[in-house]
Amino acid sequence: MAAEPWEDELTRALAQQFGSRIERFAAYVGQNFLVAECAAVYDIVEALRDQWQFDYLAELTAVDFPSRPKRFEVIYILYSFARNQRIRVKCSAAEGERPRSVVALHATADWLEREVYDMFGIEFADHPDLRRLLLPEDWQGFPLRRDAGILDMDNRWVQENLGIESGQ
Amino acid sequence: MSQTFLDSNELVLNMGPQHPSTHGVLRVILKLDGERVNGTECVIGYLHRGVEKIAENRTYQMFAPYVDRMDYVAAVSNGLGYVLAVERLINVEATPRAQAVRVILTELNRIASHLLWLGTHALDIGAITPLFYTLREREEVLKIFENYCGARLTTHAFRIGGLQYELYDGFEREVNAFCDWFIPKVDEYEELLTNNRIWRERLIGVGILNAADCKRYGVTGPVLRASGVAWDLRKAQPYCGYQNYEFDIPTRQNADTYDRYVVRMEEMRQSVRIVRQAVGAIPDGPIKAKVAKVLKPPVGEAYVSIEAPKGELGYYIVSDGTLNPYRVRVRPPSLINLQALDQMVRGALVADVVAIIGTLDIVLGEIDR
Amino acid sequence: MIALLKKILLVDLLQGLWVTFRNQHPKHLYTEQYPLERPKVAERFRGAPRLNINPDNGETLCISCDLCAKACPENLIVVTSVRNEQTKRKDLTTFTYDTSRCMFCGLCEDACPVDALELTQDFELASYTREGLIWDRQMLEEGPKPTRYTR
Ligand code: SF4
Ligand code: SF4
Repeated sequence: MAAEPWEDELTRALAQQFGSRIERFAAYVGQNFLVAECAAVYDIVEALRDQWQFDYLAELTAVDFPSRPKRFEVIYILYSFARNQRIRVKCSAAEGERPRSVVALHATADWLEREVYDMFGIEFADHPDLRRLLLPEDWQGFPLRRDAGILDMDNRWVQENLGIESGQ
Repeated sequence: MSQTFLDSNELVLNMGPQHPSTHGVLRVILKLDGERVNGTECVIGYLHRGVEKIAENRTYQMFAPYVDRMDYVAAVSNGLGYVLAVERLINVEATPRAQAVRVILTELNRIASHLLWLGTHALDIGAITPLFYTLREREEVLKIFENYCGARLTTHAFRIGGLQYELYDGFEREVNAFCDWFIPKVDEYEELLTNNRIWRERLIGVGILNAADCKRYGVTGPVLRASGVAWDLRKAQPYCGYQNYEFDIPTRQNADTYDRYVVRMEEMRQSVRIVRQAVGAIPDGPIKAKVAKVLKPPVGEAYVSIEAPKGELGYYIVSDGTLNPYRVRVRPPSLINLQALDQMVRGALVADVVAIIGTLDIVLGEIDR
Repeated sequence: MIALLKKILLVDLLQGLWVTFRNQHPKHLYTEQYPLERPKVAERFRGAPRLNINPDNGETLCISCDLCAKACPENLIVVTSVRNEQTKRKDLTTFTYDTSRCMFCGLCEDACPVDALELTQDFELASYTREGLIWDRQMLEEGPKPTRYTR
C-alpha cells in the first residue's frame, strides 16, 4: 500500500497559489496530506484557515528521522468544521532551522509548539514564549529524538534534584 | 475601579501542585488584583512518564496497556483510540461482534468518566452529596468492567483486531439492568443540582468560552458543545459502527459552566441510549479478526481520533515497517482544553477558578503523559 | 399558611429522612469491610500470578517455551531451562516474576500456549521488602499467603 496521489478542487487551487512551494499532494489509508517546504507552511495554514475554513488545528507534532538530510518532520493536522474534512500539512526541517510559529493563526499551537521544542529541540520563530512545557526547565537534551535512548536521559538532573542514582 | 490612595500591588498566588481541586498535580500561578484574576500560568509535567518514548521501544501489542494509564478515568476510550489507529495502519477492521462490544464498553466508560467528573466538580463547588451518589453508580460500571476483563480501571479490554475476552454469561442482563437502574439516578442528580440556587449562582455566567474561542484554542468535547457547536466525532466521522446507533448531540448556547454541566448530564442519557441499542443487537461471530501475531504494519502513518469523554482523542502513529512503532503521538484532549483556562479565568473571581478547572474535566495523567 | 403548616409538621425534615431511609437497604451498601470481610473479586480478575501444576502428579505444566517472557512489555519474566536428553524436551529450572513492575495487563497469560501461567484472584501482594516482590518458582506455584484477619 503506497500513498496515492490526491487531487481535487482544493489541491488545484493550492497548487496554483503556492506553485512549487508545495512538493506534493497525497493520500494514505484514506487520509489526505500535503508536503510543503518549511518556509511556506505558515502561509499555507493561513490560506487554509481563511479561504478554506480549516479553522481548527487539531494537532501539531514532529517526527525525527536522523538519517534524512533534513532530520525533522513537522506535522500540522487541520480540520474544518464546515467541510468535515481533515488535512495534514507536513514539512521537513533541518537541525537548527526555525519554522515560523503558527500561534498567531491558531492559539492552540502555543503549548503544542512548546511541547515540540521540549521533546525535539525544534525552535519556532516568533513564538511568544518558547520554554519547555513538560520537562523541567534545566533539563538537558531532547528525549523524543531517536538518538536519545531510554537509558541515557538526563541522569545528572535526576541525581541532583531527586537524590536517586539514575532515572530508572 | 476607583483609584484609592492605597497602592495595590499584583498578588501572585500559587495554586497546587498539591491542591485538592486541581484534580491531580497541576500547578496554576494566579496573578490577582484583589479577588480578580488578571492572568494565569499553568505549570504541568509533574506526572510526565514519557509514554510516547516508551512506545518507540515496545511492539504494537505491548504498547496497548500503557495507553490506559494516560486518561485513567476513561481507560477504555484510550484503548479504543489506539487499537483503531493501529487497525487503520494494517488495514484491518474489527469483527461486527467486537465492534458492538467496543461501543458498549466505551459508552459505559463515558458514563463512568462523567460520573467521576460530576462528583468531584460538585464537591469543588461545595456540594458533597453528589460525590457519594456518583461513586456508587460508577462502582456498578466498574463491576461490569471487572467481570468482563478482570480489571476495573486500567482495563486493557481491547486488542488489535478485536477483543481478547469473550462476553461472560449474563453480560447483556447486567448491562441492561444497569441502564434501567441508572436513568432514575441521573434524574436524582438533576434534582439535587439543576435547580439548586447555590449551584446556579456559582455556575451561570462563569467561565464563558464562546464557539469562536473554542475553535481558536482547539477545545473539543462537551466544552465545545456547550457553546452551541453540535460537533461530535461519533457523528461527524463515525468509527466502530457508531453510524448504526441513534443518538442526539446535546448542545447549549450560553457556553458557561452551567451549560457544560447540562450537556454532560444529557450525554450520559444519550450514552445509555446507545448502550441499550448496542446490547440488544450484539451480532454473533468471532471476536477477533485475523491479525498476524508478529505485527509489522507497512511503512506509513495514520492519524485516527475518537470522541473521548473529554474531547477529541487522537493517535498519530508512524510505522517504519518494523515491529515497533516509529513514533506514537497522542493528542490528549485534556492538555489542549486546559490551554483555554487562561482565557476563561481572566476577570473571574478566585473562587471561580476552582469551578472552571472542574468544568474543563481534566485528567493530569493525560496532560503530562 | 401552608408554609407554616409545613414547618409545624416538619415536612422538610421528614422528606430528608425518607431519602436517608430509602438508601438504607443493604443492597445499597458499597463499603467493603476489607480486612474482616474479603471482597469477592470477579472470576476473570487479573491479580497475583500463578504457575499451574498438574494436580495428578505435581509436575509443572510449563513447557519453558519463553513465550510469556517475550510477550511481557515490562520484560519482567525470566525463564531458564535445561534440555532433558531422555524426553527431548526442555525442563524448567527457574522461573522468576517481578511483581513490583508488573502492571497486570494479562499479555503473558494470553501468550502461554498451555495455560501454565495464570493471573489469579489473589490480590494481596504487599511485601515489606523489594526483594519480597520478586517471586520465584516456588512462590508462583504456591501462591501468596496473606494474613487472615478475624474479629
Ligand atoms: S501481566 Fe503484563 S506486565 Fe505483568 S508479567 Fe504479564 S505481561 Fe508482564
Ligand atoms: S508461556 Fe507458559 S509454558 Fe511458556 S514459559 Fe511461559 S509459563 Fe511456561
